[in-house]
Amino acid sequence: MKRKSIALLLAAVLSLSLMGCGAKQEAAQPAAEETTEAATDEASAEEAPAAEASADSNTLTVWCWDPAFNIYAMEQAAEVYKEKNPDFVLNVVETPWADIQTKLTTAATSSDLSSLPDIMLLQDNAFQKNVISYPDAFTDISGSGIAFDQFGGAKLAYSTVDGKNYGVPFDNGAVISCVRTDVLEKAGYTVDDFTDITWSKYIEIGKDVLAKTGTPMLSMQAGETDLIMMMLQSAGGSLFDAEGNPTIVNNAVLAEVMGVYQELIKSGVLIEVNDWDQYIGTLTNSTVAGTINGCWILASIQTAADQSGKWAITNMPKLETVDGATNYSNNGGSSWVVTSNCKNVDLATDFLGSTFAGSVEFYEKILPSSGALATYLPAADSAVYGEPQAFFNDQTIYALITEFAGKVPSNNTGVYYYEARDAVATALTNVVNGADITSELQAAEDTVKFQMGQ
Amino acid sequence: MIKIKRSFQYVVLTVVSFVSVFPLLWMVISATNTSLDVTRGAMLPGKALIENFQKLIGAQNVSQAMMNSFKYAILLTFASLCICSLAGYGFEIFHDKGKDVVMGVILLAMMVPFAATMIPLFQMFSKAGLLNTTAGFMLPTISTPFLIMLFRQSARSFPHDIIEAARIDGLNEFQIFYKMFFPTMRSTYAAAMTITFMNAWNNYLWPKVIMTDQKSITMPMLVANLTEGYVTDYGVLMLGVLLCTIPTIIIFFVLQKSFAEGITGAVK
Repeated sequence: MKRKSIALLLAAVLSLSLMGCGAKQEAAQPAAEETTEAATDEASAEEAPAAEASADSNTLTVWCWDPAFNIYAMEQAAEVYKEKNPDFVLNVVETPWADIQTKLTTAATSSDLSSLPDIMLLQDNAFQKNVISYPDAFTDISGSGIAFDQFGGAKLAYSTVDGKNYGVPFDNGAVISCVRTDVLEKAGYTVDDFTDITWSKYIEIGKDVLAKTGTPMLSMQAGETDLIMMMLQSAGGSLFDAEGNPTIVNNAVLAEVMGVYQELIKSGVLIEVNDWDQYIGTLTNSTVAGTINGCWILASIQTAADQSGKWAITNMPKLETVDGATNYSNNGGSSWVVTSNCKNVDLATDFLGSTFAGSVEFYEKILPSSGALATYLPAADSAVYGEPQAFFNDQTIYALITEFAGKVPSNNTGVYYYEARDAVATALTNVVNGADITSELQAAEDTVKFQMGQ
Repeated sequence: MIKIKRSFQYVVLTVVSFVSVFPLLWMVISATNTSLDVTRGAMLPGKALIENFQKLIGAQNVSQAMMNSFKYAILLTFASLCICSLAGYGFEIFHDKGKDVVMGVILLAMMVPFAATMIPLFQMFSKAGLLNTTAGFMLPTISTPFLIMLFRQSARSFPHDIIEAARIDGLNEFQIFYKMFFPTMRSTYAAAMTITFMNAWNNYLWPKVIMTDQKSITMPMLVANLTEGYVTDYGVLMLGVLLCTIPTIIIFFVLQKSFAEGITGAVK
């Protein structure tokens, strides 16, 4: 009897483990079939590229996240590259940015980098932090022959650590000020009234527009520091100095920025909403007469097809009292990085170098469908970039934005960029509710220093 | 007077239930609207359901994600019920000096957040070659302190007389578990099954860390993919969330029924 029960138990354990194995094989098989589809190449049938870095000499695995944007751009780049290298196979794994960060952190802190792909896309703001924290995870591609001088200086600075290039810059995050021309017309203004102006002028016009039409100029997510950071960078300001020490207190630029933000709220020119979805809603609903954000916001604006011809873009307002203030800034954007798990660095750099960092034709190809704007300076002169866009009153917005991108002052992100942003966000919320700017900034700096262990 | 009180109760209950159901209702409504209408606050069902569905299956491999999610969740639920019910039963029925200490240690493990064990686990699984596998998904949560505790608690109400009677009648220990304990504890199994299935289905962080392959994607991962990018298509996103929710809703309602059956079928 006893023996029988032991046998039963063993059988149960065995069948369980068999099930595990069986499922494993099942999982592996469709994988082989599916990747062929993804790679859209007949040759890949036998190769069945894995998720991690490819061992095969002509295959690259890439992690990035937006099917309409960077995934599309990557796939087009592969098409362009195949003309030169017909056996090339690209395997894109759709991975949201937050997950790339999680996987990278997990792999790097456990010193097991074998799960990383050949190439991945990093957000520019997180670039320095990751390269400095996990230097072993990335490959220095300075000597690879990629023409880095063809990119805007501020953009390139994000992916340069200690003078070494770790990334190939990709999308543009140049800040634009978008305005609804139909609303402005009712108040007697045009887009020219918003070009090359200062913030106090912006607030002045904004108040007038609000009084005449009842429509505020801007909306922003409450407690979000996007606008603050854009203003800060427009005057070359950062939350850290060159040595990486926080400079939140005694930061003239930041103090002015906080004051401007407070004034925007007080005057009603800027309304705060609770989340990102509501922010998009204020644009598509015509709740506001404009927005200031990275140029990628254009894609969301254009979802409201019935507003075609009613938008125009220009540069952002600049700060007044600080030196070096400009009408140009940056918000967002990303760069491609080659991981240290890449077995085929030459292929990876040749691929990136001859597409993202070497082909105007490629950027022309991806622009119409994805709106992916280059930071590759030669692309600005291309005819495709100079085409007028009906949605924006026939403005040549792409050439304009590429021009803006070249004028952005660079800023300092560093390892604790996000911590500092969060601390400033808390300060901002309190300042909006009437707290004193100086003491709030002091509290923010103390928080950051505490997190840095200083 | 009673009537007024009653009607007041009804009003309160109606408001509260509307508030609880509203997010689900809004999810269903949004799934049938275009993204633009969702951002404009559409509150009535739209006509874009089919269009959203086509976009969703065009952009994402929904069938693969569904299949994976079902496979992982069902296998994990089955395995973890087998293991934890045996463990919980064993802890309660058999006597040993150290068992309460061991139980204490197991319960202590409940206090350790997953994020703290994630990196060593990843190292272990990566070395064992279990990345992108079903076993890799299942093993960390195949036995949970909570389930062991749940089964131990329910075994406490299981009459020892029955066990002794069964022993006298010649059943061995495993048969007692399988023939006597298991049928009377259906309600506990149903509850445990609901909890485990939902946890497995909704598990996001761990699969995200070990599943580096596009083909091992699960439904919550698919929904996360939909929110990335510079433009979010809210109609498609809501449809994705709806599809991800349906299985857990079905499991919940089906097992809720057997939950009740289990209670009526308990030992008299």
